Amino acid sequence: MRASLHRPGEDLHKRDEPSLQEAINLKLVESGEKEKLKDLLRERLIECGWKDELKAQCRAFTRKRGRSNVTIDELVRAITPKGRALVPDDVKAELLQRIRTFLLSVQF
Amino acid sequence: MVTKSSSPCYRPCEHLVDYKSKHSTRGFRALQRCIVVLPPGRPSVRTLSCDEDPVPRCASCAKSHGRLYACLICSTISCYSSSSSHARSHALELPGHELAIDLDRAELFCCICNDQVYDADFDWVVVCAHASSLAKCTSFSNGRTAPPLNVYSRKRNRGAEYKPWEPSSKDPLVLERGAAPLGLRGLTNMGSTCFMNSVLQALLHTPPLRSYFLGHCHNKAACQSKVCLGCDMDDMFAAAFSGDRTPYSPAQFLYRRYLFLFSFLNSWWQHAANLAGYEQQDAHDFFISAVEGIHANSQQPELRKGNDAECRCIVHRVFSGLLRSDVTCTACGFTSTKNDPCVDISLDLESTALEKQIYASSSTLLGCLDRFTRPERLGSNERFFCESCQSRQEAVKQMSVRKLPVVLCFHVKRFEHSAKNYRKVDTYVQFPLSLNMACYLSSSIARLRHGNRLIFVEGKGELGGDNDSGSTSPSSEFELFAVVSHSGKLDGGHYVAYLRLGGEWYKCDDAWITRVGESVVRATQAYMLYYVQRSLSDESSTTIPERFNQHQTLVLDEKIGYTSLLADAVQA
Repeated sequence: MRASLHRPGEDLHKRDEPSLQEAINLKLVESGEKEKLKDLLRERLIECGWKDELKAQCRAFTRKRGRSNVTIDELVRAITPKGRALVPDDVKAELLQRIRTFLLSVQF
Repeated sequence: MVTKSSSPCYRPCEHLVDYKSKHSTRGFRALQRCIVVLPPGRPSVRTLSCDEDPVPRCASCAKSHGRLYACLICSTISCYSSSSSHARSHALELPGHELAIDLDRAELFCCICNDQVYDADFDWVVVCAHASSLAKCTSFSNGRTAPPLNVYSRKRNRGAEYKPWEPSSKDPLVLERGAAPLGLRGLTNMGSTCFMNSVLQALLHTPPLRSYFLGHCHNKAACQSKVCLGCDMDDMFAAAFSGDRTPYSPAQFLYRRYLFLFSFLNSWWQHAANLAGYEQQDAHDFFISAVEGIHANSQQPELRKGNDAECRCIVHRVFSGLLRSDVTCTACGFTSTKNDPCVDISLDLESTALEKQIYASSSTLLGCLDRFTRPERLGSNERFFCESCQSRQEAVKQMSVRKLPVVLCFHVKRFEHSAKNYRKVDTYVQFPLSLNMACYLSSSIARLRHGNRLIFVEGKGELGGDNDSGSTSPSSEFELFAVVSHSGKLDGGHYVAYLRLGGEWYKCDDAWITRVGESVVRATQAYMLYYVQRSLSDESSTTIPERFNQHQTLVLDEKIGYTSLLADAVQA
């Protein structure tokens, strides 16, 4: 997916040009940094007990609805907001810091 | 190989059944090559084709984040989200293509039913792929494998994985009163090593040392030295407080490579080569050399200064005090003062008949201290050079305690190793359980000397810092917690230690620990006495809030005070 040349007035081409978010994501993935960050995040979330907490939440949800009445989709939809809310601030801060450092190092 | 699909509750969806009937396990096995195991042990799917784009993307919308699925039939990658699912559209367009595999998790997914499905043969394939990828990891000689390291992992002392803790049924019993005290464990005699065993028992129950080592303040992982008394102490504390009541046996630990008792001896021997040998050594010498050894191995060399009084290593923080000696010229009264650091106070026992009349007999500890701090006339052959007279004069010398240590160790000089005399003094010495050192402080001694006159001190603040009242300030009150006593003759005697724990006294005779009455301890022939500042003692009657306030007057730094408070709180 290449960024096309920006021709003024040509709104059609804007769809091909990656947004900032996509560009960052691309950079992260290409350099392999995203994998490392994902692994780090997984480690931190296990350490702080987040994973165990979420597991318990999933179990509770499944038990309440009945095992055969839950699809993976419903579970994800129900648990995701809780999961996002439960991530500790210091973990968020650390990850953001690493991303920032990485972007600075590749002179983004 | 019991898996989900064989459990009675699970029923595969019709699409899975259909797929299996048509393709059996061919598709799964083809996938096995594509399954890699990423740390921390998560199986994932990696496409082996070398595209210019290493990132898997949805064939329809090129999305690369979120959940991506690869069709089992045609390997088309599609994205999935509850709002728009290209995976679903793919399955709807092409019948028979309902099944896909989650790229990140290696799980089967049915695009029509919108749910994960499970199959025993598929799971078997994943397990095989997992096993073969593990074989590629570095493996140690004992057959264990190491998971690939996360490059971002901080180099910290990784302990066990986090698990929330619930007390087991045994835990309340351990903390209950009446149960044997924590850390009480016999030490095997390895050939006249009772001199070491008795001192080690005292050290193991010195409250600030206990807090320090049990609080992991000596970091074994970061320790550079191969022979380190600090590491051996750490091991010993861990073993003593492990809850195991069997005595340490060097042979056992030789097997399990926890040679700490043996290695402690070994390290100490290496350190104090002149004292090495299997003969009975002096317990006090051992104490001094153990303190020096732990100081030498202190992990932060910048804390170790030439002056022991300022050294911040744990043993000096605990044992180091300051003794002041004043030498007064008899001609002009000029006094020269010197402060020397010390880790213990050695007390003479002998006294002449005249001294016995004037001073309290040296058969009590307080009497010995009186002797220690009394003004002593230096003989004519010991004249010192007086600066104000500018000539040699006869002088009077007086000792006092300038700064009290946290743990005060008294050494009763029972053994005489001079050229003419080689003997032991058996005199019984009476000692108190609670000791107030206020009257032996430099401020009090100086006041006595000058008869309560206002003191024009040598340098402001010379005597400031000591409490002017000299009476019961918290930092001059001490509680006895350990006694090392010697019985028998000079050669071939025996050392035992008495420990005061939980209001009771325990006799530690090498591997044998017995509870004894207070009268037994009082009657013993004390050789070394260990006192700790009252506010840190487990035995004092002060409640925890009081002790917390008193911490402010102590010479410890905050960290050790806090961990000590915690340790004491647990014991209480």
